[in-house]
Amino acid sequence: MTTTAPTEADIWQTLRRIIDPELGCNIVDLGMIYHVALEHAHVRVTMTLTTPGCPMGDILTSAAESSLRAMPGIEDAEVRLVCEPRWTVARLSPAAREHLGVPADA
Amino acid sequence: MLPKSSASKCRHRRIPDAPRITAANAPSASLPLRFIVAGIVALAIAGGWLVAQPALVTQYHYGPDAVAFTHLVLPGFAASVVMGVLYQLTPVALEAKLHSERLAHWHWWLHVAGVAGMVWMFHRWDMKQLGHFGSVFGLGVVLFVYNMTRTLARVPRWTPVVFGIASAVGWLLVTMLVGLFLACVKCWPWLSPFAPLAQMHAHAHLGVLGIFIMLTVAVSYRIVPMFAISTMQSARRAWWSIALLNLGVAGLALTILFQSPWKLAAALVTIAGLALYGIELRAILRARTRAVLDWGMRSFLTGLGLLAPLSIVALVLCWPGLPTTSHTLQCENVYAVLAIFGVLWFAILGMLGKILPFFVWFHRYSDEIGRNKVPQLADMYSAKLQATGYWLHLAGLLGTAGAAASQLAPLATAGCALLAASVLTFTINAALILSHLRRGRTTTPDLPLHTAPAST
Repeated sequence: MTTTAPTEADIWQTLRRIIDPELGCNIVDLGMIYHVALEHAHVRVTMTLTTPGCPMGDILTSAAESSLRAMPGIEDAEVRLVCEPRWTVARLSPAAREHLGVPADA
Repeated sequence: MLPKSSASKCRHRRIPDAPRITAANAPSASLPLRFIVAGIVALAIAGGWLVAQPALVTQYHYGPDAVAFTHLVLPGFAASVVMGVLYQLTPVALEAKLHSERLAHWHWWLHVAGVAGMVWMFHRWDMKQLGHFGSVFGLGVVLFVYNMTRTLARVPRWTPVVFGIASAVGWLLVTMLVGLFLACVKCWPWLSPFAPLAQMHAHAHLGVLGIFIMLTVAVSYRIVPMFAISTMQSARRAWWSIALLNLGVAGLALTILFQSPWKLAAALVTIAGLALYGIELRAILRARTRAVLDWGMRSFLTGLGLLAPLSIVALVLCWPGLPTTSHTLQCENVYAVLAIFGVLWFAILGMLGKILPFFVWFHRYSDEIGRNKVPQLADMYSAKLQATGYWLHLAGLLGTAGAAASQLAPLATAGCALLAASVLTFTINAALILSHLRRGRTTTPDLPLHTAPAST
């Protein structure tokens, strides 16, 4: 059996599975993912939180890490939580804006 | 694909006030749950009691049943809930592992036995036995204060939230000691030179203002930004609000006890602290990302908003030279109804409406996220029931406050029935949330697994 090497698009798609349970929206559309780097079978993700010190922080990072590690073709995954640059409303995708009731020009 | 330019600017370090080992810090699910369930049971009993005896809101407040009911609602409902929330919130949100979970479990037994006994003995007006049960409750408070003090000492960075929680824990100890002293004075009146009613009012203010309003203010600096997606706008303003509130509590307790005309000054200091808090809260809410607030938040904010009319009634009551007439006593009843059924009940039920689903979700689903499709917090209860409960509560508050002011018995009956109905809606919702602990609602993911449509 052969396993196709995952692409960066697959990584983003996997991260879309992680839903913030309070906001009801996935962490990609919420703009919490800053950076994805895929080198061979190693993936590194940099993410932030919508509110500094949110108690969901560790749950979301752990969930992202375990979801990525469970991907076929991924040997290791590292998710880093950063505070700079701070998350702003500008990072919300149009879908997330609509979901949260945030005006398009905010 | 999202732009990566921002990523290049990232400094690869953790958010300083973000919890590093949230799950590891959290106590076992049974600990906060025990306290919260005890609080909800006390609330349900209080609802039934209101229906059975609506005269509680119109009669003179220094009677056995009124005092027993107040202790059912304050140490029974409010204190149980906030103790449970603090046992969970402090380790998870403030990044400090609980000093001893074993002590906290012992505390629960002492708390439940102490409160149940106190309420029963107040009802029977058996002051000797009240002292015994009060001591059991007091021992539990000592364990709580010791545990929380050791835990708060581990918090890496002191913020207004920690300052407020620490203050409330300190005032809890003082309130409990004053309460025990009052029970002793009932048995040996020569112990105290103070007027009995002044002592009781000082004790009540220490409890309501020092513990519950202080905690509401402190915790809201944490949860309002979190749930509304905002940030604290001025830490300095927040520090000052807590400091003034502390000064006001101490001043009010002493001036009430000594029946001093400086009571008005102490009340003004307290109101200044609350006003600063209101300004900061308004700024936090104005900066929020989340446009629509759910019913839990609305209930919480309604409780906070009721601090304004409560402050006005307080100013009237502490006006120097205010004569003691039947109208003054009615005004005191309105003050108590606004404080207990208004500010505290709305704020605590609202806070529970947000925290209970999070707490149950955290213990039931945090390991499942990303692997299975898990419910969102809003899926765990009925928002319609929550909205119904909110309006019933508001109508019940208007009815009971009106009855306290007018002494109209039918209005008291209607107001109490509405409050009890709102308690029922809350209890049903709490049962729905808690049922997730027994039976999870996960499903196997069918890709793509996201509730909001993906974009970019």
